[in-house]
Amino acid sequence: MIMRQGQQLLLPANPLFVWGSMLAALALDMFLNMGLTGRAAWVPDLLAVVLVFWTVHQPQRVGIGAAFVFGLLLDVHQGALLGQNALAYTVLSFLAVSIQRRLLWFPLSSQSLQVFPLFVVAHFLELSLRMLAGGTFAGWSMLLSPLLEAALWSVANIILLAPQRRAPNPDANRPL
Amino acid sequence: MPLGTLDRAPPPFFRQGPSALTKLAVCGALAFFLMVADARFKIMQPLRMVLATVLYPVQWLALQPVHLVQGGSEYFYSLNSAQRSKDEAFKRLGLQSLKANQVEQLTLENERLRKLLDLRLRLQTTGIAAQVLYDAADPYSRKLVIDKGLVDKVRPGSPVLDERGVLGQVTRVYPMVSEVTLITDRDHAIPVLNTRTGARGVAFGDTTTHADALELRYMAANADAIVGDLLTTSGVDGVYPPGLPVARIEKVDRRVDAIFARIYCVPAALVSGASHVLVLEPLSEQVPPRPLPEPPALVRNKRGELLKP
Repeated sequence: MIMRQGQQLLLPANPLFVWGSMLAALALDMFLNMGLTGRAAWVPDLLAVVLVFWTVHQPQRVGIGAAFVFGLLLDVHQGALLGQNALAYTVLSFLAVSIQRRLLWFPLSSQSLQVFPLFVVAHFLELSLRMLAGGTFAGWSMLLSPLLEAALWSVANIILLAPQRRAPNPDANRPL
Repeated sequence: MPLGTLDRAPPPFFRQGPSALTKLAVCGALAFFLMVADARFKIMQPLRMVLATVLYPVQWLALQPVHLVQGGSEYFYSLNSAQRSKDEAFKRLGLQSLKANQVEQLTLENERLRKLLDLRLRLQTTGIAAQVLYDAADPYSRKLVIDKGLVDKVRPGSPVLDERGVLGQVTRVYPMVSEVTLITDRDHAIPVLNTRTGARGVAFGDTTTHADALELRYMAANADAIVGDLLTTSGVDGVYPPGLPVARIEKVDRRVDAIFARIYCVPAALVSGASHVLVLEPLSEQVPPRPLPEPPALVRNKRGELLKP
């Protein structure tokens, strides 16, 4: 197996954890909306970050179909145009699939720089769809959202890969 | 196989599934179909209802910490501020008491006068008290979610008020919750009456001047409107009961080259931050049906033949 030098060999991903983390991201998105930020436009979309993350790391499991379904659920929660987030996530996931073979060869900082355009495209798509459908412009603070999402890429890398970074043979000194 | 993992399952040889581009085309087309069906033909409510029901447990779970924090902050609400707000409430009640006590008598008088003049009696509506759960996350519209739904017999089109005035209208009803479009939403229009002059108009949601505002459109450039005028519902729409405060005029912009004056208003209701609201029954169900047009009278021509109308 060809690997980057100094890279840790990871355990296989648990499918339950993969789907659980997607649902958790959806719930967290809802919590941010309902509890803290309301309809602010700058809020990073955690579900989009987790979706791109798993599309890159587990392309066999999470793909365009899952992105579409999760986008539809988010649309219903937001009370937005039905299919708006679904289309944005579909495109996001397609772009993620197209870069997944290359992306993991780069160090983390470079990775987040490379996923940034993906989030920009997704947000721009959403904005143009809503402007066509006759919505209110949400304000320039929405430019902040893809930036924050790209910054969260490294955080997602730490949290979502943690179960795979455990020791394969836990003992008294390495309980996890 | 994902890069750098110990995944020992080889990728499937033959069952690769459709290519990513095919999936993109199919899902994209489906999303476009859904958007057109939702925005143009408004036929996606059943699908929304199903998805909302599926989503409800997750939503409920995400709402628990919010409720917990709100409950906790109320618990630590100091006695001082509680007493202060009680005093304020009493003061407001005292100011309202004169009007409130005269209402009974005025209603009776109004009823008698209307009977005397042979006018129809004013329509009475009943309401359901509801609590605002959260602002809908969509930043391109102005919507709220309240905690009463199909189970509590909320119907789409019902007006929603808070203690200061009209807040909006129920636009989507789900089993447990419903969605209220605020009067400041761009797609929302409400017929209003200027209480000073009696002129009727239509106020549209507008967010160009600041976050939450309304614009009174189609008023002539020389229309009698001054800053501070109170606009109430006019009651000609068959949705809102007449006389509810809607907005106050904030700015009147008369341009030489325009036919219409630009009149901006601030809503009377607390459009961002309302917590308890009242959902009224829509008036349209009590409004008598429009009478059918009378068939045109038959006319005979000079030779005495009946002419076809």
